[in-house]
Amino acid sequence: MRVIQSILFILSIIIFASCEKMFDYSPYVIDFDEENTNVNSKNMAKIANQQNDDSVITIAFTGDTHRSFDETDEFVKSVNEINNTKQVDFVIHVGDIADFGLPKQYLWGNSYLLKLNTPYFVVLGNHDLVSNGGDAYLEMFGQYDYSFVYDQVKFIFINTNSLEFDNNGNVPNISWLDQQLQPNSSFRKAVVLFHVAPMHSEFDPNLIDAFNQTLTKYNNVLFVAHGHMHDYSISSPYNNGITFVNVYSVEHKKFNVIEIENDTIAVETYSF
Amino acid sequence: MIQLQWKPIRFSAVFLLLSMLLFASTSVSAQEMKQEKKSKLHNLIPDYVKLQYAGGIGFMSAGVGYTFFKQRLDVSMFYGYVPKAFSIDDLHSISLQLTAKLIHITLNDKLELLPLNFGWYAHHTFGNDFWVRLPDKYAKDYYWWSPGRNAGVFIGAELKTKLLASKSPASGTAFYVRIGSRGLYIASKAGNKTIPFTDILEFGFGVAIYR
Repeated sequence: MRVIQSILFILSIIIFASCEKMFDYSPYVIDFDEENTNVNSKNMAKIANQQNDDSVITIAFTGDTHRSFDETDEFVKSVNEINNTKQVDFVIHVGDIADFGLPKQYLWGNSYLLKLNTPYFVVLGNHDLVSNGGDAYLEMFGQYDYSFVYDQVKFIFINTNSLEFDNNGNVPNISWLDQQLQPNSSFRKAVVLFHVAPMHSEFDPNLIDAFNQTLTKYNNVLFVAHGHMHDYSISSPYNNGITFVNVYSVEHKKFNVIEIENDTIAVETYSF
Repeated sequence: MIQLQWKPIRFSAVFLLLSMLLFASTSVSAQEMKQEKKSKLHNLIPDYVKLQYAGGIGFMSAGVGYTFFKQRLDVSMFYGYVPKAFSIDDLHSISLQLTAKLIHITLNDKLELLPLNFGWYAHHTFGNDFWVRLPDKYAKDYYWWSPGRNAGVFIGAELKTKLLASKSPASGTAFYVRIGSRGLYIASKAGNKTIPFTDILEFGFGVAIYR
């Protein structure tokens, strides 16, 4: 009896110490360690100290990674390889890093992106908001709407997942977007990034006009990029001079690289 | 909006009621079969109480349940709690568990080992974020899973002892471990070699006091 008791006791201590992570309390526990918190602001700090060596802003895009974790791994390796020969200034994920909005899926998704040898930014997608995923995003990446300036170009990330917020009239936040686009000396042009595009049914129908009018208001938007529809497309759906790029989702084993040079853009597609 | 808020509560109430009915009806029939002289009320007393750590259904979970078929099947109901200290908000949930305990090895007159138990559970998390039925604002099958209620499987082992056997109404105390995974985790791992298998496991252990 004593022997068995001691063996059981020692065993449980070993198990407890070696696989603390496996002691799952609930799929909805949000308990992220240091490298998995404030990810967007940490990358903004990196960008602030980064030199653009070649006068071209090169951005690699992915998105809608959902449960395509192996493909995300391959994407990261492919971008790192390209970055060895020519500068990839940063990576943008256009949303849906999680599929069920689970904190675990956030952790898995970010575990690959952390291996990028370039800064990266993640847009909020509708799948990221399911269950308490919205809290997981705040914890891991930060505010839903954010922006930074890199080499005279302002990158504006805005939450457009209206339906997840019951089309409450505040998503997307038009006045915030307007304020961000108001010209000042820090930037010449702007790029707007979001997950759901105004062409999609999940975009608040009452805000489509206001959104498009704001994009054209200051005549400084170079292009907008989004995800949600997993296929690549480039178009100007509202014939207002705004170019919409729907970037490839990761499961196609393809990704888009957009180069900005002298206020013009060039879109390339890479396969992996 | 009001509708969306009360629906998960109604569903959980139905879930709870059904589980209670299941417990009540099966224990009554068990009583009839046994033909024992004990009162009906006595037979409604759960066959065991459990206290579990982790295992995907709470930081700590308290459960009650009944055994059937000569202790080959356990049906348990747990209430699980995760305090705010372990997440950014506290979490309340209930789970219904079925455990098949097919192999019983008697080690000596005081110890019985159940080396391989198989289990299934349904886990219901309370709160507006954790809907059970897809809210009306979405198109049909927009999200195919339900965050509020999902199921999983586990295997486990149990060691039954005579600890507390002298304290009525207890007949003994058991210690158990379990390791499992839930559908949402298994679906995430499927097709992904780069996700470590250990990442989808839910480990837990607990203690049970038998009547």
